[in-house]
Amino acid sequence: MSPKRIATPLLATALALAIASGGCASQGGKAGADRDRVLREYREGAALMQATRFAEAKVPLDDALLTLGGLSAGDPTAKKARGLFHEESSKGFRGEPYERVMAYYYRGIVYWMEGEPDNARACFRNAQFQDSDAADGKYQSDYAILDYLDGYATAKLGGDGSDALKRARSYARLGRLPDYDPKANVLVFFEMGRGPTKYAGGEYGEQLRIRPGISAAVAANLRVAGQSLRVAPADDITYQATTRGGRVMDYVLANKAVFKGTTDSFGNAALLSGAVLAGAGSGRHSAADEVGAGLLVAGLISKIVSSATTPAADTRAWDNLPNFIGFAALQVPAGEQRLAVDFVDASGRTVVTREVAFTVVPGARDTVLFLSDRR
Amino acid sequence: MHKRTVSHLLSAATVAAISLLAGCSTYGVKNPSGTGVTVLKADEQGTVAGTGIESQDIVAVTDKMARSILEIPQIANAATPPNIAVLPIENGTRFAINKEQMTTRLRARLVSQTRGKVVFLARDRMPALEKEQQLKQNGQLTSATDPRVVEFRGADYFLTGNLDGSSTRNSRGVSDYVLYTFKLIDVRTSAIVWEDLAEIKKQGLEDSAYR
Repeated sequence: MSPKRIATPLLATALALAIASGGCASQGGKAGADRDRVLREYREGAALMQATRFAEAKVPLDDALLTLGGLSAGDPTAKKARGLFHEESSKGFRGEPYERVMAYYYRGIVYWMEGEPDNARACFRNAQFQDSDAADGKYQSDYAILDYLDGYATAKLGGDGSDALKRARSYARLGRLPDYDPKANVLVFFEMGRGPTKYAGGEYGEQLRIRPGISAAVAANLRVAGQSLRVAPADDITYQATTRGGRVMDYVLANKAVFKGTTDSFGNAALLSGAVLAGAGSGRHSAADEVGAGLLVAGLISKIVSSATTPAADTRAWDNLPNFIGFAALQVPAGEQRLAVDFVDASGRTVVTREVAFTVVPGARDTVLFLSDRR
Repeated sequence: MHKRTVSHLLSAATVAAISLLAGCSTYGVKNPSGTGVTVLKADEQGTVAGTGIESQDIVAVTDKMARSILEIPQIANAATPPNIAVLPIENGTRFAINKEQMTTRLRARLVSQTRGKVVFLARDRMPALEKEQQLKQNGQLTSATDPRVVEFRGADYFLTGNLDGSSTRNSRGVSDYVLYTFKLIDVRTSAIVWEDLAEIKKQGLEDSAYR
């Protein structure tokens, strides 16, 4: 059989595979929309929190947390994402731990607003749990604010939150966390800056990297009922996102990248050798001619396989997160009140001021406020 | 030569068509026609599950507690049906739950099984009850009895509970243990006259794509 007779059907097959692969890529529209559902809900939840539409924020957050609460074992999109020929981003989005943490954190705030501090505490505990598998034990479950709030909720419920407070203080890097004030009746959650995002590094984009967030404001001055209090944030989301260490998926992507590189190099070598041999045979149907054609075909197939291999890391990111989150508890007299929060930079200059009006009802549940430096 | 070329082109087109059909028909869609509604029993574990508190846990725990409460002498041998007020349970797990669901089911099981041996007080409806009484006292509503006499019953017992959990995670998956405790407190003496527990532990593995 002549090399041409072998080569033509093989080329046709390769072409067909390439066409099929390209054709299928365009079929992912609906599946793609679904795989990003949690991401959309995260973004919507954060946007609604920042717009102080807390009751509405519950809806997307609850739906996203339903997905997070279920186990990922058996998820067909995850299986596909581990395959050589599908990108990591083909899996249903759940987010990196720092993103999952924030979903539970926001939901916990809304629970507390609704007078359910124990369910709020459940969310803070679950948030801390999301951070519990960092590669380096030093960074596992190390959100200061989550343990602080866990203990605060416990103290509010009549329990002993001292262990949680102790843990929180051991993680606090941005300032000392104050003692719990059981008489505090106004709880203020605040956030500032723009959080970290993701980008891909490495030869084939197989390395997930974190671009640090930014924040002009580094502290908050709270003014209410004649009191003024400067509060540092309790946690830095960029720090949390960048101290996670490697993921199991990173090894999968690294292997995909090696496979892609190897098949590409082999393809190059085979194409070059095949061309040289086929050229040396000069179309005289010699053995060199046949080997050369075979190598050309093998090289082409290897190049196609290499080109179809997709080691790119999943860079979808919850892009409206803050860079810093903080908390303060105040005793405020009953009646109509107005809280002003000046977000200040390192030199003490006010970057932006946010205000909120509220009513303190004696004997009623705690008033929980949430303010963001962005709207 | 022409024949050969045509034949090769045909074979290429056939392979391409088959590949397109075979490759795309199932792409990204595990179950393209969906699944009809599946009715499950509340005490049955479905295929969609996590390690958190689920319906089958609530059913199992409240059934066990209802059976246990009915056996205590204060209920079984009471001369007059004791008045019980349900206090909210405290959730100490990492799972946010609808706490009322658990106490509501427990109360409903007790009421249906005892047929009048216990009386539950609707403390969660006090604002509406007080308003109704106020309207009667003001003469805006009719009343079969003297509305000035307070007839809201005091509780003989408080029924309450706690949920506590501990969670473990390693590089493969998660494990959650939840301890459910319920107790009946004598309001007059503060004595805990009954307490029982149920424990549920679950574990599950995470796909490595999410680890």
